[in-house]
This record gives sequence, C-alpha cells and structure tokens, in this order.
Amino acid sequence: MLKKIFPTLGRFRFTVQIVMLFVTVYGGALLGSYTVDRISQALPSLSCAFDKTTGDHCILIVSQHQLHHRIGEALVKAQEITLKVFVPTLISVATFFAFFFFLNKAFCGWVCPMGTVQELLYRIGRRLGRPLNRFSPDNVERVRPVKWLMLLVLALGLPLMAGMGFAANELGDPYCQVCPSRLATTLLTADTEQIAVRTGKNINFFLGALGNAMFGFVVIAALAARQPFCRICPLLSWNAMFQRLSPMRLVKQQHDKCEKCGVCEKACPMDIHEIGREHGKKAFHEDCTLCGRCAEYCPDDDVIQIKFFGIKLFGSSREYYKQRVKQESPEGMPKNRVIWLKQAK
Amino acid sequence: MRSLSMMLLLFSGAALAEAPQPAMPGMEHAHHAHAMRSWTDLPLLKTKAGGESRERVIVVPQNIVADAVDAYSNKLADENGRRRLPLDMAGAKLDKPASGGFHWLAAREEQGDEVRVASAVYYFGERGAENPTDMFITQKHELEIVPQPYPREHSRYRANEDWKFLVRFQGHPVVGQMVALETQNGTKSVWVSDAQGVVTVHLPDDFNAETDGKEIGGSRGMGMRGSDFVLAARRADGGKTYLTAFNAAYGKNAFDQRSIVMGLGFTLLGMLGAVPLLRQRRKKNDMPEQPEQTEQKEEA
Ligand code: SF4
Ligand code: SF4
Repeated sequence: MLKKIFPTLGRFRFTVQIVMLFVTVYGGALLGSYTVDRISQALPSLSCAFDKTTGDHCILIVSQHQLHHRIGEALVKAQEITLKVFVPTLISVATFFAFFFFLNKAFCGWVCPMGTVQELLYRIGRRLGRPLNRFSPDNVERVRPVKWLMLLVLALGLPLMAGMGFAANELGDPYCQVCPSRLATTLLTADTEQIAVRTGKNINFFLGALGNAMFGFVVIAALAARQPFCRICPLLSWNAMFQRLSPMRLVKQQHDKCEKCGVCEKACPMDIHEIGREHGKKAFHEDCTLCGRCAEYCPDDDVIQIKFFGIKLFGSSREYYKQRVKQESPEGMPKNRVIWLKQAK
Repeated sequence: MRSLSMMLLLFSGAALAEAPQPAMPGMEHAHHAHAMRSWTDLPLLKTKAGGESRERVIVVPQNIVADAVDAYSNKLADENGRRRLPLDMAGAKLDKPASGGFHWLAAREEQGDEVRVASAVYYFGERGAENPTDMFITQKHELEIVPQPYPREHSRYRANEDWKFLVRFQGHPVVGQMVALETQNGTKSVWVSDAQGVVTVHLPDDFNAETDGKEIGGSRGMGMRGSDFVLAARRADGGKTYLTAFNAAYGKNAFDQRSIVMGLGFTLLGMLGAVPLLRQRRKKNDMPEQPEQTEQKEEA
C-alpha cells in the first residue's frame, strides 16, 4: 500500500517537503494565531518568524535574540553572570536538540522551506532545459568555510557584540536581515513588507540590500544549480555541530567499485564528493542534508544506507536503482517527460 | 466610520464620569485620574518597564479610580493565574511568573450606577508560554472588548491594518454595539460590531512629524516608535451603565522607513548576477562549469 503511494524514496521525500512547506509557511494560519511559534520555537530549519502565518521559527532567530538581549547585555553590565542568564538559551538549544535528535540533518533535506523552494526551482529549471552548473571538488572545498563564517559572524558574533555595545544595536539580528528564507516565505504569503528594503539606518539598508540581492541571485541560480544557498547557510553549519550526536545516520560501507562508479556523487545535490570516495564517518559529511539521493542512486546493495539507531530505514539496491534511473537521472533530469523549453544547441 | 456626533452621543456619559470624584478615605493614593493631562478621557492602563529588570512591569491606570489592578495570566489555573495587584503612587507592580506569556490587566471602578473598566494586555517573553486562548475567552468583566486575536509575539498592532475585537456583555457577544476608537495622534472614529459581536477596526495611519518621536514602551515595543489607541464601548443594563475600554500601543505602518522600489531593484540586481548560469555553454548537459565565482562574490 505504502509502496504504491510512495514508489520511491524521492517521491516520499517530495511529499514530506511539500507538507512541511505548508506547515512552516502557513501552519500558523491553520493552527490559530497563538499556537504559532509554539511547536519548537527553535526549529533546525529556516522557518521564518517574520512570516505572519508561520507554524514555527528557526533556532537562529532565537539565538541571535538571546545573544543580543540576554547574554550580551548581561556580560557588559558586569552583572553577576548567573546561570539564569544562560538558562533561556540552554532551553532553546535543548529544545532544538530534542527535535534534531530524531531527524538530524533531514531537517535540511526534508523540512526546510528554503531547501524545498530551491529544489522546486531546480525542477522548474529542468523543465526549462536549463543546464546544471556543478561545483568541482576544488570549488566545493573553497565554498565550504563560508557557512561557518556566516554562522560565527552573522548569527553569533555580531549579535553578541551588539548586546555588549561593541557593535551597533542594529546588528542585533544581522543574519535575519540577509536571510533569503525571510523573503521567500513572506512572499509565499503575499506579504511584500520584507522585500521592501529598510531605509531608516545605513546598516539596515546595507544588510537589507545585500539580502535582497542574494535572494534574487539564489532564485535564478537555483534554476541551473542545486541548492545554491544551502552551501553557505549558517543553519547547515549549526546543524553540522550536532550531526554526530543523533542516531539518525548516513552510513556508507567500503566498496571496491566506488572508485570507478561515482553515481552517488552525481546524485548529491550538495556536490559532496566524499560520498563516492570515502566511507564510514567521512562519508557522512558536514554538508550532507540527509536527502538520501546517494542511497537511491547507488547501484549496489546496501553500500549506502540511512540508519536510525543502527536500524536500516533505507538502503541502496540494484533493483531500486534500475527503476529509479528510468524516471530521473542522478542529476535530477526527468526521463520521458515534457521539457517546456528546448535546449539551445 | 460613523460621524463624530454619534461619537459624542455615545460618550456623553464619559465626560460626566470624569468630573472630580470625592476622595474616598484611604484611597487618595490610588487616584490617578488627574495625575496628568491625558489625550483621552477614556480609562487607560499604561504599562512601563519596572527599572532594569525584564521581570517586572509597572501598570499605571489613568482616568479611572481604582485601588487595584487585576492580572490574569495565560495559565489561569496556576497560583499566579489571577492576581490582585495593589496600587500605590507609582502604579501596580506586575511581576513575571515563571510561565511568562500574555497577561490580561484590568482596573474596575464602580460609582453609583456607573461601572467603568480599563483593560490592556501585557506580554512577558518566555519560551513555551501557554496558549492564551482560554485566558482571553474567560469572562472577566461585565462588558468586555476582547482582541481576536491579540498580536502574537514578534508582531504588533500597526497603522493601516484591520484588527478584530469581540464585544461581550455578561459573556455573550453583543450585536450592533458601537465601539469608539481614539488614538493618541488625535483620530476619533466609531465602529459597529457584526452579527457575531465582532468589530473590525481599521487603525489609522495618523502619524505625523509631531507624533513621530515616541517610543512604544514595554517588551512589545521592541524599541520601535509608535503611539497608543483606545477602544471603548458603553452599554446600559438593569439600571446601570457600563463603560469598558481596551487600550494598546500601535506602531507605524508596515512600509514606514522601507522602500519597495529599492527592494525590488536590489533583488533584480541579484537575479541579473545569476543569469549567466542559465546559459547553455556546452552541448552536453550536466557538465561542470564555473558557477562558484558568482557564488563567492555574493559573500565577499
Ligand atoms: S542548508 Fe538549506 S535546507 Fe538546510 S537550513 Fe539552510 S537553507 Fe534550509
Ligand atoms: S551525501 Fe547523500 S544524503 Fe547527503 S546530501 Fe548528498 S546525496 Fe543527500
């Protein structure tokens, strides 16, 4: 029965993504105004608090806010730094982890509205016959540190400094000011307030302009590249800090054929070359979003598996692979389906 | 919107109630009615931060004679669910309970056959604060103006927006009830409740150079500038008249100090930056190209 509705993991994931897109973008409208923000208030996905109908909001808005108003202010007032100052933050992180524990990075690959929007755009790009711009392993390596910089500077450092008075007060939530999910989710609710750039203070204007430009870039780039924003997303690095603490894992066994195959690398929307070349811990990379595409496209039995507490939830298999490539190429090109725009030759 | 004359008719009683009251023994300290010249004659509850701490707020009644402020938390069953806060010269102190969240504040005055109620909402930021629907729905006075809903955390009343309020008398919705709106910026208007007892009020965009500078107090203001409004309903029943007011802060309209033209401009600029990625440069699909340059440029 379940097999009929969800013949592939890809179809199942796509369904979950669409449902979660509705929960994160419009969930508050369905659950009632005060229920909004009440699910976790610390979600490991870019569900945005500026979206008036959101069903929840991400951990980054909470951590920026608390670093700015609680911890930063307390540190500089040289108040007794009691445990109390840190309790709200600890509770937020604990709540975050209570959710994260079960799904791990699948919050990226299955839940995040920004991840889903980019994937939808990429699918549209396939229909429009746009090319796929892949990252070479060298370039991937170069981009990877950016997500840590985004986390350390925009989501943690500047809010703390603003709270302590070392940075302008307007830098209390710098990541939110550039976040493309704020723009994507509010536009999905037909709210144009956020796309209008703030003009009151120079810093806000600068960050807002940068955020809008990045959003514009991501929207077009996603038509011809997979998950362009995810690669520099500070939540990807935040989640990566906790990735080894969850029993949900991507597991890859050593396999002799891998060297010549590399199909999983092609299937990976994050261009993680390690998935094809490494095994064990190194294969479950910090950039992995647990989308499971590598396991779907690995042509050998159980070489790549998604496991929860050691129990196999999904494993690669030759049979599955044969079916899967009939529908879609590893790079996400649909087979035997209408292409709206013919590719220019 | 109805005419101003209707408004005067509706509130002709309010002026009377504002005549100096004979001081009651032991209650002088609580008489805040004429402490300052107010922008309205309607009863108000103002909240302000109680010093350094985020854990306390001072509630100051205006235009009403009361000896206490009643506070209902969104955890009604809790020991702090319903508190009677004594008033002194500075006002009533509302301390944050562990559960935090929304608080309904009310001051009530009964003089002869006139019952006056001032009401407002205060929100203490707290993770996991209980859903306040029960607290809002529970009957607290005879005549009530209940926000439907009150702006949730991270949101607030703003100019040029429509907000709904339920008007109830003895717990039952009142159809066709006139509700007056007055703002600190000087707008006055009257609205009427529908068949469900719900009145939809359009908050006016009435900020100007003079009214620009005030900061909204309390945790909800978030340091943003704004002003106050009050809604009031009057009703006669069983030989008594009831006047109930609900006041709150409202901010400037959503697009104040924002530019949609520039916003779209920068978005377009970013889009243009990504256009080269869309071009087919090789015959074969899925060939590696160099998108990274543009990716990194964004971050530089
Ligand atoms: S990496 Fe992508 S999927 Fe994960 S939180 Fe960031 S935007 Fe969302
Ligand atoms: S390594 Fe596998 S599961 Fe992780 S992002 Fe790449 S394809 Fe998805």
